[in-house]
Amino acid sequence: MRVTEGMRYDSVTNNLSEVSSRQAAAAQQAQTGLRVNLPSDDPIAAAQLARLSASQAQVTARRGTISSVRGDTELAESSLQQASDLMATAKELAVQGGNGSLGASERASLALQVKDIRDQMLGIANAKGSSGYLFGGSQTQTQPFSTAGAFTGDDQDHVVDIGNSTPTAVNASGAKAFTAAGGRDVLGDLDSLYTALNSNDTVGISATLDNLDASRAQITTAQSAAGTIVNRLDASDAILSNAQLQNSKSTEEVGSADAAAAYTNLTQLNNALQQSVSVSKSILDMAAFKQF
Amino acid sequence: MAGLTSLLNVARDALTAQSYGLGVTGSNISNASTPGYVRRVALLQTQDLGSQASGSVVATGLQRVTDDFIDRREFAATGTSSAATTRDQTLASVESLFNDTGGTGLGSSLSNLFSSFSSLANNPTDTTTRSNVLAAADAFSQQVNSAGSAIAQSQNDLKTQAQQTIDQVNQRAQEIAKLDIQISQATMEGNDAADLKDQRTQKLLNISSLINTTTFTDAQGNQVVQVAGSTIVEGGHAGSLSLDLHADGSLKLNANQSGGGTTEITQFLTGGTLGGIKEARDTDLFDVSKKLDQFVFDTATAINTQHAAGVGADGGTGRALFDVGGAPPGAALNLKVSVDVFNQPDKVAAAANVFSVPGGSDNAVAMAKLADVFTNTSATRTAAQAYGDIVGSIGSTRANSQRDVDTQKAILTQVQSMHQSESGVSLDEEMVALTKYQNAYQAASKVLNVADSLLGDLMTSVGR
Repeated sequence: MRVTEGMRYDSVTNNLSEVSSRQAAAAQQAQTGLRVNLPSDDPIAAAQLARLSASQAQVTARRGTISSVRGDTELAESSLQQASDLMATAKELAVQGGNGSLGASERASLALQVKDIRDQMLGIANAKGSSGYLFGGSQTQTQPFSTAGAFTGDDQDHVVDIGNSTPTAVNASGAKAFTAAGGRDVLGDLDSLYTALNSNDTVGISATLDNLDASRAQITTAQSAAGTIVNRLDASDAILSNAQLQNSKSTEEVGSADAAAAYTNLTQLNNALQQSVSVSKSILDMAAFKQF
Repeated sequence: MAGLTSLLNVARDALTAQSYGLGVTGSNISNASTPGYVRRVALLQTQDLGSQASGSVVATGLQRVTDDFIDRREFAATGTSSAATTRDQTLASVESLFNDTGGTGLGSSLSNLFSSFSSLANNPTDTTTRSNVLAAADAFSQQVNSAGSAIAQSQNDLKTQAQQTIDQVNQRAQEIAKLDIQISQATMEGNDAADLKDQRTQKLLNISSLINTTTFTDAQGNQVVQVAGSTIVEGGHAGSLSLDLHADGSLKLNANQSGGGTTEITQFLTGGTLGGIKEARDTDLFDVSKKLDQFVFDTATAINTQHAAGVGADGGTGRALFDVGGAPPGAALNLKVSVDVFNQPDKVAAAANVFSVPGGSDNAVAMAKLADVFTNTSATRTAAQAYGDIVGSIGSTRANSQRDVDTQKAILTQVQSMHQSESGVSLDEEMVALTKYQNAYQAASKVLNVADSLLGDLMTSVGR
């Protein structure tokens, strides 16, 4: 075959640009640590990465949801615990007040304690969390219980998206815990006890005992429901945390370059490029006319 | 029997012929790196003076060492290779629009939108969370808009480029026709016209990089050049091409007829820059734009439906979150946050019914959960999956195109190498030729010298 200068130059140019472009690609992999820097590097992996990143964003948002609502749910639970303790105290006062040996003035002083308990109970029922009143249902921006004990909230759930197939309610229902909707009107029962004690009405006092028990049971039920929600949030968070880890792992597996292989490859290509340059030099030097 | 005088003539012819050879060699050396230069060989032959003993040498001209077959293959390979390269350049810019590896692509703004619904559910009464939903919707719209407008811009640019390419094709056709006339004149005058032929081949190479080109010689001996199957140069006359658009906006290539009127030749356009432009613009970009519009339309419509079902903090319902239009075409280019809710965070519909305002979050959760719902028309892909499909399909189109570029380049390199091997100047060869002609020239001088001195001797002895 007849070899001309043009062929020599062309082949040197082509080979150098070929090696350079491979070296540039290897350098990019080694620098970014990513095997897929463009969708065309591996189309299937790129599509998978896009889906993984969407899934990861969703998991992250859901974990964010859990950490942001968990505080309020815990607060609701501990508030209900206090409410339940208050009801226990009220019951003790009622039992004490039912004792036939007490006089009217002693009952009146017990009544004052009951009034105090009722005030505390109202405060708990109107407790505020990070996003408004805890026990107002969807009416989080208006005080759910008036001083007279009238309920202006509702029994709507506050639902959030934490990855379960049905939306999870994360609020404790004030309606079920404190109002007749749950069975007993808690504040009303305390009012009855107060009135009975204040008017020295022993029959009335003993009539409140069962109601006070029922009220307490109703609060405890709501409390344990709130506790269940907190547990459920924790369980979901554990699952999501696993999913998050799995997603990062998959992303790494699909999209990342093997660091050692990338570096070795780069070193090899660096050497190849150097060699190619020096070979090119000697090819271009070879022309016979220089000997004439 | 030749005399001394005719020996002088022989020496003179030899000097002329050898210096012609030196001239050709010099021309080869000086054009060793001229693009399109085809090496020449001096044609020397003995000149019959009527007697065998005194046959001198004459340079009858030069030969351009070329091979039509290789030339034609080079035209074809140039066309295919430049089509592949042009297409790949466009795909490279489209690919970068859908490159999410940097974490700032369309995919992440879609995820942010769904996450904003999720946060809205956590705290529906908070104005900041509501504003965030609008901000995320706006960011998503803008990302989609910029992808859509980049594609539209690209299509526009390619149309301009197609027009410029056609202008160049027409220009080259004129030049080739002119060269054809000059070459036939020169040939008639007995010249080789090698330089003109070099130029003509260069022009043909150039035109074949613009559009798929074939050349042949017709029955009348005319050189015919055809582009996209239509004759553009024949017997020194040049035709022309023109660009038009089909009703659907795709490119329409016309061959102008000599008597006015046009013939459409779009379907024969397969190579060259123009072929690459057509494929990139009317197949690849069209495809991407269609998929993107469909994805945007499906996603925005699904979100709109859910949003309209909910109730805003102001108690109003039935409002869309996005303005997306009634059909997919143009959805990506025109998507924006609906004027019904724009800048009015209280109108974001978090609650499912008017009774649960302001703390109700059922609708916000329903919108967040749309991320897991098959929202495409055939109800088989979620929004994120549909987006991933677009990324994957662009990636594989680009990867194919890159492979195509490599293959075509390898073929072209091979053909170019064949061409160089046949027609290129080898300096080594020329050095040998130079020495050959130099020696022959020196020897001829010696012959002249000897003849002269013999004649001198004769004159001296006879004259005495």
